[in-house]
Formats: sequence, C-alpha cells, structure tokens
Amino acid sequence: MHIPDGILPISVTASGYAATTAITWYSVHKINQKENPREDIPKAALLSAAFFVASLIHIPVPPASVHLVLNGLLGVTLGYFAFPAILIGLFFQAVMFQHGGLTTLGINAVIMGLPALLCFYIFRLRNIAGKGKRMTGGFGFSAGFGGVGISAVLLLVILLTNIPADLDAGIERTAIFTLTLAHVPLMAIEGTFTALMAVFLQRVRPEILVGV
Amino acid sequence: MELKSSYNDPTTDRVSPDIATCAERIAAPVLAVSGLWFSYPGVANVLQDVSLKVMPGERVGIIGPNGAGKTTFFLTICAVLKPSAGDIFVLGQPVLNGDFRPEVGLVFQNPDDQLFCPSVRDDVAFGPQNMGLSKDEVEASVTEALSAVGGLELADRPAHHLSEGEKRMVSIAGVLAMRPRLVLYDEPSANLDIRSRRRLIRILQASKETILIASHDLELVLEVCGRVLLIDEGRIVADGNPIGIMGDDELMEAHGQEKPHSLVPHSMPHQEHSR
Amino acid sequence: MNIAVDQYVHLASPLHRWEPRCKLIGLMALIFAFSFVGNLSILPAMVAVTAALFIVSKLPVSFMLTRLRYPGFFILAVILILPFISGHTVVLSMGPLDVRQEGLISVLSIATRFLSILTIGLVLFGTTPFLTTIKSMRALGLPSILADMAFLFFRYLFEISDDLRRMQTAMRLRGLSLRRFSIHGLRTLAWLGGSILVRSYERADMVYKAMILRGYGHAGRSQYDLRASSRDLIALGVVLMLAGGFIAGDILA
Repeated sequence: MHIPDGILPISVTASGYAATTAITWYSVHKINQKENPREDIPKAALLSAAFFVASLIHIPVPPASVHLVLNGLLGVTLGYFAFPAILIGLFFQAVMFQHGGLTTLGINAVIMGLPALLCFYIFRLRNIAGKGKRMTGGFGFSAGFGGVGISAVLLLVILLTNIPADLDAGIERTAIFTLTLAHVPLMAIEGTFTALMAVFLQRVRPEILVGV
Repeated sequence: MELKSSYNDPTTDRVSPDIATCAERIAAPVLAVSGLWFSYPGVANVLQDVSLKVMPGERVGIIGPNGAGKTTFFLTICAVLKPSAGDIFVLGQPVLNGDFRPEVGLVFQNPDDQLFCPSVRDDVAFGPQNMGLSKDEVEASVTEALSAVGGLELADRPAHHLSEGEKRMVSIAGVLAMRPRLVLYDEPSANLDIRSRRRLIRILQASKETILIASHDLELVLEVCGRVLLIDEGRIVADGNPIGIMGDDELMEAHGQEKPHSLVPHSMPHQEHSR
Repeated sequence: MNIAVDQYVHLASPLHRWEPRCKLIGLMALIFAFSFVGNLSILPAMVAVTAALFIVSKLPVSFMLTRLRYPGFFILAVILILPFISGHTVVLSMGPLDVRQEGLISVLSIATRFLSILTIGLVLFGTTPFLTTIKSMRALGLPSILADMAFLFFRYLFEISDDLRRMQTAMRLRGLSLRRFSIHGLRTLAWLGGSILVRSYERADMVYKAMILRGYGHAGRSQYDLRASSRDLIALGVVLMLAGGFIAGDILA
C-alpha cells in the first residue's frame, strides 16, 4: 500500500517531504513539551516495532492472505509519537526491503500518518463516551476501518491524479470511487481486527490505549 | 557478619598499602540501608523494614522465594524506585531518586532488557559515554570490560546475533565499563548453559567490586558468596554464614527454599535408572 | 527476519569506503534528480550512470535482481495498464484495446526511473550498515528523539519477531488454523497481536530503567567517529554536479 519510486512527479514528492517535515517537527515539539519525554521513547519505539511485527501476521482470506496496516491503532497507542514511528517504519521498509520508496517516503508517511493522528483524536472521545467493552470495541472498529479507509482514499486520489493519463475528471472520480469500494471488505477486516485487539488491550493493559 | 579477610581496593588506579587507610575504608560501608519500606501502588509492603550494611569487598548472596522483594530492593538501591520510608546510603552518599550513580551497577535478570543498543560496542560504551568520558577513555573502558568477561571478540557483533550466554556476558560488561564500586546481580545464572554458568562463576569470583547476588541458584551462591541474606515477604529473615543459613533445613523450608544439594549428606539415593 | 540488504556491507569498494554522510547526501541527491527526469533523451545517461555506480560498488547482479522482484510487481501493473489508457496517439490496435504512444513513452520513463532509483538505493544501502546510516543522519541533524527511536526499533525488531514466531508455533500446536477464515481464528490472531503489544510495552519499561541506570539523558553522548576526508568531499561534489546536470539537462531538453 505504499507508492514506489518513479511514478509521482517531483512536485508531489517534494510536497510530501515538506508536509512530513512539518508534521514531524510539530510532533517532536509536542513530545518535548512533556514532563519527561525520554521516559516515553522506549515505549514508543518498542510499540512501533511491535506494530511492525504485528502487521506481518498473515490473516487468511481465501484464496490468499492479507497483511494488516494497523495505522489506526498505532495512532491511538502512540499519540504524538505515531508520526515519527510511522516514518521510521517506512524508512526501514524502504531501505531493507525496497518496499515503498525513497523519494516517496514523505508522501507515504503522510498517507499513513495523517489518518493515524486522526484516529488518536477520535479514540480520545472514549473519555467522554465511556470505556466499556462495547465502546472500546466500537471505537476500535472505527479506528481500524477509518485508519485504513482514509489512507486508501488518499493513496488512490494521489495516484490517479498524478499518473500521466489524460483521464476525464468524471472517469477519475468513478475510478477512485469503485477502487475504494473494492477495498471495503479489507477495511472491514481491519476494523474488526482492531476492535478485537482494542477489547483485549482494555482487559489486559488498559494504559496502552490511553496513549504514550 | 563476616568480613572478607583479603581486601582488594576496587578502584584500579589507587593502591592502599597503608593499614590506617585500609582500616578507614573497611570501617565505611559501601551500602548502608536502614528502615527501608516500599510499596507499589497496588501492592503494599513489598519491602518491610529492611536494614543492612555491606562492607567493601563483601560478596553477599540474597536468596528467597519469587516475589520476596529482591528485584525491588535492587531497584531502590539504584535510585530507580523511591522508597516509601527509610534511608539508603551508597559510599556515604544518600541515594536520591533519579540520580545517576555510576558507582552502583545493576545487571538485570533478562539481558535483552539491558542490551538495548543494536551493537555490542555501542552498548558497552553507553554508560561511559554518559559519564562524560573522552572518546579514548570510553574505548579503553569498553575494551577492559569486554576482556574482563572474555567477550572481546563479540565487540562488533549485532546484539541480536548473540547467544543467551553471550548476551549475559555483554550485559555484565556494559555495567563493568562504568567501573562501579558496587554491583548488583539479579538472577545472573538464569537460562545459562553449564559452560556459560561456570564462566559466570569465575567472573564473579574474580571480581574486585563489592557484589550482591540475588539468585535461585543456591550452589552458585555457595561458591561465590561469603555472606547470605534470606529474604521472604519483604523482610530479612536471616543474615550471616552461607553454610549456616542454607544448611538449616527448617529455616530454608519455612521460607520456600531447599538445602542446596552439596550440603546434603550423601545418604539420599539418586534416581534409579530403568534397564 | 532476513535482513538481506546488509549482506554485502563488508565488501571493499570505493563506494563502501566513501564516508557515509557524503554518500548519503550525494546518492540521495542523485535519486531525487533522477525522479525529476522525464525527457526520453536523458534516460540513456541515467541508465549509464546507474550501471557505472553499480559496477563500482562490486555488489553482485543477483543481489539486484532478487531485491527487484517484490517492488517490481507494482511497476509491472503500471506498465501493463498505462499504455492502454494514457494518451491519444494510437500506435497499435489489438482488438478493442488501443496501445497509445504517450502511454508507452510514460511507461518507458517510469520504468527507467524506477529501476535506476532502486539500483542507486541498493548501492547506497547495500554498502552501508543500517546503523551507520542512522548515525550519519543523526550527525547531519536528525533529532535525537527520532534517532533513539530508530536504534531501539531496529534492536528490538528481531526479539519481537522471534516472540511472534514462538507464540504462533504454540498456537498452531493447539489447533490454530491459518488456512480457513473464521471469526474465532481472527479473534485468536487479534489476541496474538495484542499480546505482542503488551509484551513490548512491558519490556519497554525495563529497557527505560536500564537506560537511566546507565545515564540516559546525561550530556556527553553522540560521539560518532565520522570524519570526511578531502577525497570523500570531492566525490560528493562530483556526484552533486552530476545530479545538477541531470536536472539542468532535463529542463533544457
């Protein structure tokens, strides 16, 4: 689900880098405002690694299997550390596995990271709505579904508006719409999985859901 | 309380042949704990009224069942946890929560928790670097510490490519590199194979620092320590001669321990082999 | 986990010996310059420079081919679709499908850019250990929060993935099926994921304690042994000029 090198024009990749730099700067700024920023660094780093590993779990969806993105839950558990964590994870993937791209690091981070931050804020509404099993499950589902859904839409919009094809605006819109629709089953799986994880965490270690 | 009869000055750059200075140093405890109480937010009285003095060069074994408070005790000595009541003095200075005291080293139960740098060299250098030493001094400490544990050839390996025994040695090196005067070992022989365990015992026996070893490995404690503390439910139940304490059947069993096999007279049959 | 990119970092070549900061700046600049190029006439030069750098790096060709496989699929999809939807000038008619010229041209430039960038990326990261890359970035100004996170991420990734493997084996031995899809199976896998998170969270607590015990947060860290010789800087200059040349060439052509 990451855009590789060579496809996007430099205007887009450069804007991606600019946005990533800004959001990262803001995140680091917010982190430094904490009482003891260093205390949370090991938690944030190890949780990022855990999410990375968790995303490698094969979910059997016959005839194949899928890997989850889990950016929604990542946003929930890491808070302001989420964007740096995603950036590090993407960098690692691009360098080690050539998955994603080097010029597209910025834009890929934005595609994955902005929804993560959004999910962090939305999940906090739990503080008002209640932290019971149903609420946690419901918010978990939204985080999973929404996190991946928004990423998918962003990805498709960026790709389809930038590939060198003189497509009619109407056709483009239809394409984005249909392709997004095609992703809905995956979004549902991601939502369900996230809900199940959130309920588990609420039972076992509720502090994780409060965010670092 | 037994004093080590052969006292070695743990600081490597000073030799003290003068009897008066020796006496002065011997008189000052490395660790002095009085009236220590500790509770976790959900668990009360993990440590109850613990008082203890450890003199320079002593090797003290700390035994007791799981949950007795051994790890918690170590963490309070290191200023990581703040006691609910009581005083702790290390080398005459009070221990205040959050202080960086490189004179006290703690070797964690799980070396993976302690070996947090990706490469061995970086990890062993971590402490010395934070002590503000120059690049050359850091390098010298790293080499010295790795040699002391017999792990110099591991210096350029990534941390995750090490075996359990190697990880244990490197985590010890990481602590020794800070040239501590007091070293606390939390279950050092856990998960080690026989060869690594023997190597560990030799390192402990050769150490010049004052050491406290919390361990379930009673035979190790017998081989290394000149003094034993038995802790149960946060209290020191016995303090003194290892053979005296660990040889006392009633005492040991009352606190969830067993007499180490080497202290048991050989009247107990070994398991029969089936033919 | 097979970290194969680090396989050949111990070879000896001018690229292996190039100072890591200079290498990082130079080759990344080249990569960005390549991503800028769209003009067909510049493409051969791009391929030539890429090939030259690859040869100098002494990395084996098999290495490049294996690393290309996975990301190649996406590009393949683009190559197969674009000529049929992009542009107006039809060059070939295959029944209902028309192959268009503009599409073919786009495909050529996309494929060339992709392959060149990927290869330069391999040259860069295949000759530098990952840790050194992070250290260089830190030396170049990456905030310590990010650098520390990256180091810990890299260090514990292997432990955590070992944890996962062990837990998956244990589950499989008790009947978890990874072939059928079921809500029960999904829940088990969710619990697996959750357990991984909880274990890492708890381990992080101990790691933090271990870090502060050895002085984390005290001044005097970040002593990295990076020194750029004049040769390294000259090489950097040359590569930067090359990058500039590509950009200029594309604009002028």
